[in-house]
Amino acid sequence: MLKYISRRLLYTVILLLLVSLSIFYIFDLIPVDPARLVCSKSCTTALVEANRHRLGLDVSVLEQWWRFIQGLFQGRTYGEGGIKDIYCGAPSFGYSFNRHACVSTIMAEAFPITLSLTIGAFIMWLSIGISLGILAARKKGKFADRASTAFVLIGTSLPTFITGIMVVLFIVLKFHLVNPLELGDWQNPFTNPLGWLRTFFFPCATLAIAYAATYTRFTRSNILEISTEDYIRTARAKGLSEKVILRKHTLRAALAPIVTIAGLDFAGLLGGAIITEGIFGLSGLGKLSIKAVTQTYDLPIIVATTLVGSAFVVIMNLIVDVAYAYIDPRVRTT
Amino acid sequence: MSVNKLTSRRWVSITAATALAVSVAMVSGASPASAAAAKGGTLYFYTNSEQFPALDPTNMYTGRDIGLFGTYLFRTLTSYKMEAGSAGTELTADLATNTGVPSNKAKTWKYTLRPGVTWEDGSAITCADLKYGFSRAFALDVFNAGPTYAISWLDIPTLADGSSAYKGPYKKTGKAAYDKAVTCSKDNRTITYNLKRSVPDFNYFASYPTTGPIKASADTGDKYDLHPMATGPYKIKKYAINDELTLVRNDKWKKSSDPMRKAYPDDIVIKLGMNEDVRDEVDMTDQIPNGINMDGLQPLNNIAYFNDPTKAKQRWNIVDPFVTYLTANNSAGHLDCLLVRKAVFFAYDNQSLIDLSGGLKYYGVMGDNIVKPNLGMDYAPTKGNIHDPNFKIGGNPEYAKTLLEQAKTACPDAYDRATNPAKGLKYYRADTATNKKSAVLVEAALKKAGFVIETVYKPAGTYNANLVEYKSQTDFLASGWAADWANASTVIPEMWGNGCCNYTKNEKTPEYAPFIAKVNKALSELDRKKQATMWHELSQYGMDQYWYIRTVFGKDQATWGSKIGGMTEWKPFSQAIYNDLYIKQ
Repeated sequence: MLKYISRRLLYTVILLLLVSLSIFYIFDLIPVDPARLVCSKSCTTALVEANRHRLGLDVSVLEQWWRFIQGLFQGRTYGEGGIKDIYCGAPSFGYSFNRHACVSTIMAEAFPITLSLTIGAFIMWLSIGISLGILAARKKGKFADRASTAFVLIGTSLPTFITGIMVVLFIVLKFHLVNPLELGDWQNPFTNPLGWLRTFFFPCATLAIAYAATYTRFTRSNILEISTEDYIRTARAKGLSEKVILRKHTLRAALAPIVTIAGLDFAGLLGGAIITEGIFGLSGLGKLSIKAVTQTYDLPIIVATTLVGSAFVVIMNLIVDVAYAYIDPRVRTT
Repeated sequence: MSVNKLTSRRWVSITAATALAVSVAMVSGASPASAAAAKGGTLYFYTNSEQFPALDPTNMYTGRDIGLFGTYLFRTLTSYKMEAGSAGTELTADLATNTGVPSNKAKTWKYTLRPGVTWEDGSAITCADLKYGFSRAFALDVFNAGPTYAISWLDIPTLADGSSAYKGPYKKTGKAAYDKAVTCSKDNRTITYNLKRSVPDFNYFASYPTTGPIKASADTGDKYDLHPMATGPYKIKKYAINDELTLVRNDKWKKSSDPMRKAYPDDIVIKLGMNEDVRDEVDMTDQIPNGINMDGLQPLNNIAYFNDPTKAKQRWNIVDPFVTYLTANNSAGHLDCLLVRKAVFFAYDNQSLIDLSGGLKYYGVMGDNIVKPNLGMDYAPTKGNIHDPNFKIGGNPEYAKTLLEQAKTACPDAYDRATNPAKGLKYYRADTATNKKSAVLVEAALKKAGFVIETVYKPAGTYNANLVEYKSQTDFLASGWAADWANASTVIPEMWGNGCCNYTKNEKTPEYAPFIAKVNKALSELDRKKQATMWHELSQYGMDQYWYIRTVFGKDQATWGSKIGGMTEWKPFSQAIYNDLYIKQ
């Protein structure tokens, strides 16, 4: 098992290195010159070149990438040896001249917001999705099933930007549930749980609606499929109650694939929930990355957010694979 | 101050503005500072923007921010009077004892600091701080978003590549030359600026934060933007991008050293990164009664809000400082024929384009000049262009055709380029939904007159940054401009002369040499009235050449909560007189 994990970890590192290198090359292909973008109205060729040097874009793409990798382990100094040089300690993802801060500091501020949002939404969508799925399966063809089907239909067909705006305008603001000035405020859930709940409940709910709908459908179909298995019929023939059959036999089998998918969905969201963060004004990784990509072309932020997002997905994949390997020894040998 | 207003929703993040006396403002509901104004409370602002373009005074160049932070956070040598009406366009002394003492034909300017002026840490503001602050504008490798007048005016040698021999305070290059150009008195209270040429309006420039003091020991270079040191009645408590900027009272600020500032609110909170729909809903339902929307509303919400009689005292619709314009590329191989340029002007369907952007009521009206009436004495109505009897706001293709017919023999090459389907005119535009709609109108109007035109879309995010490159390739270029201060010296030379943003490519035309000679003469003219007359002549000259196809005098709307008192227009910035704002108790 240790050998298997080591091998996968090595693959993960290689994959992340390749992802980071690809971002540098893709950024180089975009027909945008960040050095010109940060130039004033009195922009001259010399100024553009000075900016390019300051941004570290005056060397080859490979050299830029290598400096980035070095910075991750050694930290990095930005400037020309002048008295106002900027040092970003390891792990340095770079320096954002748009935000006047080291990217690792910016990421450290944004990550708890995205993590909060993701965990809150994750708990919501799992509890709602699985509960509704079980209910729908148990009451197949009855009102509860039809109601949950309607929920699934609405949840999956409404895009998050519509759900989010509706939640904000017609619930949050209409009923004065949150002061608009507090929308998007970061509250530490450990020191101020009520404050966190007030600010994060609705964004989490917005994000959870679409996922919960998918999980409802998935849980329902899994349970119904497993209910027809021979061993369930045997359990029923043995005289076990429906509750026990559901808890001990059906659910265990039905939830295994759901947990796997939930893990990957969770990891995907850790890279940032762009739309939800935008609507609720949350300064998470999603909002950070979308602005860097579409407005400021802030390469260090683009690299860092993409890399962190990729890392979560890759690491969660690894965890899932390891879990499978643990459950099914045949995986270890392949 | 350049801006591509056609691609931006509003002018929130755009550059500075000044204006003068004559107001054509259509103010509705603005309430002058009341005798009931009282201290206390929290004043809120909210905006969709995640951060300010610059909080570092050296980089600060937007009119709104100069007005806002110049009132609350930073003091400068001079300031516009914080008064309503045309009085607000006059200069007054702020950190200095007067608005400046010129000598040597305005090549030398001297300022003495008021007694008792201090930093937020209680230390005295000195001439050395002023000198250091001024020097940072030369560090173009660190600060390049602010105005560059200091570099072009100060009497410091220029290198072969055209750059200044002085490279700012972080490098030692050229320091001796700077020390000679800017000097301090022995008591460290009087500063003298020695300039290359006469600059009669240097005192206006002295109202810009970039000329203000910076304490060298507190300077953190690029990071100074996150926490600049205050000299005004408030100081920064918190600045978090996409969160908020909180200002609290600066207890070291002394009213005795600052007769101008009133500092009514206890705190000022600027909420950043508010979703646009949320922001508009907040305004419509008055959910932040002690708050001011810094952006304006989205078009449909704007109309609804301005049609709501209950909001009459919580809004205004005023003339903004901007002139949006369409430049013709006058260089050889493009629109190098006056008759063709004129034909484009008369063919243009301005009515439809203005309607698309919000209409005459909210967007703006057709202009007859590059200088806006807000600039007062420097504006004079021109002849021709929109006053020509053949001008129709919806376009006059028939007349345009007759002009093109004349061009056929007068300048056959230009005519061929403009009408030959194998060639045709090119119009580079930012790739936005609004531009795509307006391109349809432009193309339809020009085709009606016989032109062949193709719209070439460029990435929106970098369109403005690439204007310098595009101006040589396109036949038309749309952008916008506001005067830096109340003198056409910050308009005509910049837009048509050798300033920053001349996209007309007129420099090789035969009309340019006499024009620029007159511009240079006007720039050094010490008699203000005579100078204004010279600007009138130059405006007329440029308009007669149709260097610009069209100009639009823009309008701007503002909205605020029901508990905001003292909302009055500050004409230099077309913003509130922030000094008068208070919370109704």
